[in-house]
Amino acid sequence: MNPMNTASHPQQRQFNPYTENGGTILAIAGLDFSVIAGDTRQSEGYNIQTRYAPKVFRLTDRAVLAVNGFAADGNMFVKKVKQRLEWYRHAHAKDMPLHAIARLIQTMLYARRFFPYYVYNILGGIEDDGSGAVYSFDPVGSYERETCRAAGAAQSLVQPFLDNQIYFKNQQPALGTSHPAHLPLPQVLRLVIDSFTGATERHIEVGDGLEMFVVLAKGHDLAGLEGIAGLQEMSTKSDGERIFVIRRELKKD
Amino acid sequence: MECSFALTGKGYVLIAADTTAARSIVKMKIDEDKIKSLGPHLLMAYSGEPGDTTQFAEYIERNIRLYQIRNLYPLRPPSAASWIRRALADSLRSRKPYSVNLLLGGYDTSNHTPSLYWIDYLGTQAEVPFACHGYGSYFALSLLDRYHDPEANLEEGLAVLRRCIDEVSKRLVVSPGKYRVKVVDKDGIREIEF
Amino acid sequence: MEYNGGSVIAMVGKGCVAIGSDLRLGNQALTVATNFEKVFPVTDRIYIGMSGLATDVATLREQFRFRVNMYTIKEEREIEPESFAHLVSSTLYERRFGPYFIEPVMAGLWKTQAGEYKPYIAAADLIGCLNFAKDFVVAGTASEKLFGVAEGLWEPDLEPEDLFETISQTLLNGVDRDAYSGWGAVIHVILPDKVITRTLKGRMD
Repeated sequence: MNPMNTASHPQQRQFNPYTENGGTILAIAGLDFSVIAGDTRQSEGYNIQTRYAPKVFRLTDRAVLAVNGFAADGNMFVKKVKQRLEWYRHAHAKDMPLHAIARLIQTMLYARRFFPYYVYNILGGIEDDGSGAVYSFDPVGSYERETCRAAGAAQSLVQPFLDNQIYFKNQQPALGTSHPAHLPLPQVLRLVIDSFTGATERHIEVGDGLEMFVVLAKGHDLAGLEGIAGLQEMSTKSDGERIFVIRRELKKD
Repeated sequence: MECSFALTGKGYVLIAADTTAARSIVKMKIDEDKIKSLGPHLLMAYSGEPGDTTQFAEYIERNIRLYQIRNLYPLRPPSAASWIRRALADSLRSRKPYSVNLLLGGYDTSNHTPSLYWIDYLGTQAEVPFACHGYGSYFALSLLDRYHDPEANLEEGLAVLRRCIDEVSKRLVVSPGKYRVKVVDKDGIREIEF
Repeated sequence: MEYNGGSVIAMVGKGCVAIGSDLRLGNQALTVATNFEKVFPVTDRIYIGMSGLATDVATLREQFRFRVNMYTIKEEREIEPESFAHLVSSTLYERRFGPYFIEPVMAGLWKTQAGEYKPYIAAADLIGCLNFAKDFVVAGTASEKLFGVAEGLWEPDLEPEDLFETISQTLLNGVDRDAYSGWGAVIHVILPDKVITRTLKGRMD
């Protein structure tokens, strides 16, 4: 058979519209704050495309969305969510409440049930009642409000650590005491940093930079945030909920 | 389809195996005994590839007997289980491995303990309070989780076994018709009319 | 590795090492036994854990016992952890092109010239490529989870009781996120003069 003669062989070609861009995201809800974090490495296979591609985005003054999976889909999805939130603002002259954003994301994801956005979403922020909240989604819109959630390449490394440190799984409280339902902000930030340094150490797709968004409820004091290096305020008003971002380098060895 | 069950109780091990010998979709025989006595206090239920089963079971039976003749005492259940496991493990990496699954029940007369071993064709061995092989395991294991009592007397043990067999007869599409039930305890091996 | 399921971990402490495994034995998704230990003593100060195909776990346990006994007889001394690690490695490499499907994890204490005991841990892949780690090693179906938790919980120079708590929490929380591992755990903390063995209850599901 002539190798140049391909006409005699049936050939199949397939365009694959998806890829996986690595990275990990994580969110933890406090009593009256919320932390949403993600690394900034974007890769495809063994190739690092960029060391700074944000995966965590401010939506409103009390909502932050982290997207992980197929970066192109993620960016497009965030763009569309932001657009819907802007329309809401024009129609109602206020920001959409967090629980409503969560439902909006569900309908937007499920609308693409048969050609999904290949992304795992984690939405964090402050609820109308002032409580910290985290909503996690699968690519087709199943969602749940939780206290903490990790997603992405290092989910399997981080989630069991969080089970242990946030939910106190496999730990018994000392006699006459009980485990706290929510942890204070400095401890949550320490756990987030530990989670990402751990994931960076053991997972090749995690590393370079760390972005931690902190959303504080109305009237919440800075709770030790002042002294933190690399802190930047993202909120538009100073009398409502406030958003800060902390940027860090991740271990290089 | 082939099913075998076993469970331990207070001072005994009960073993049940179906009695059908099937080739493809045809039942060739409905009174086949698939539980061998390997010694005065050792029972082995075997299932798997037809041909391999009898061949392997007889090989084991004769070798365990040989040990008893040479040493004037039988191999105790844990040692017998280890030896049989090794025979299967060696066979696994040979040119033609035996595909035989076993339940080995024994009563150790030197320390008065009943023991049951689950062994599969790969040579995986586990000492367990109860065990099954075949499709029956998907129904019987959950019942045994709920109703098994290591301190149960023979009557109670038989009642649990009855539950398992009834459930398999009721829910399994390809359920076998008849079972042979044997018990091993301090007095040796007996067959029980079921 | 997913045929029978199971996970193993070992960690270094201050003058001590710990090694542990879960207790599940499965047939794919079906749990067959919940008392299947995967860690075995080699000498008074060396333990080996094996995850993977259960038949090979049993076969290699016998094989290692035989080879360590032969070593002890020929050398007229007990084997040291490092030599044992290489014994494991070469035993596995003998089957380079038809391997035993296990990943071993070793933990032990070795005696220095001065007479004190130093911790030693190592792991290998199924054909015996050794990995000497300074902190911890993991293997099995929950290995990724164990890496994540261990990376967060482990710290240098843990005292025996703290090391026990660290390895226990790592193992329990790791296997709780793995469907193939679990049903309790067993931990051995190896000290120069004794071994502390404890069986732990987990989520049992």
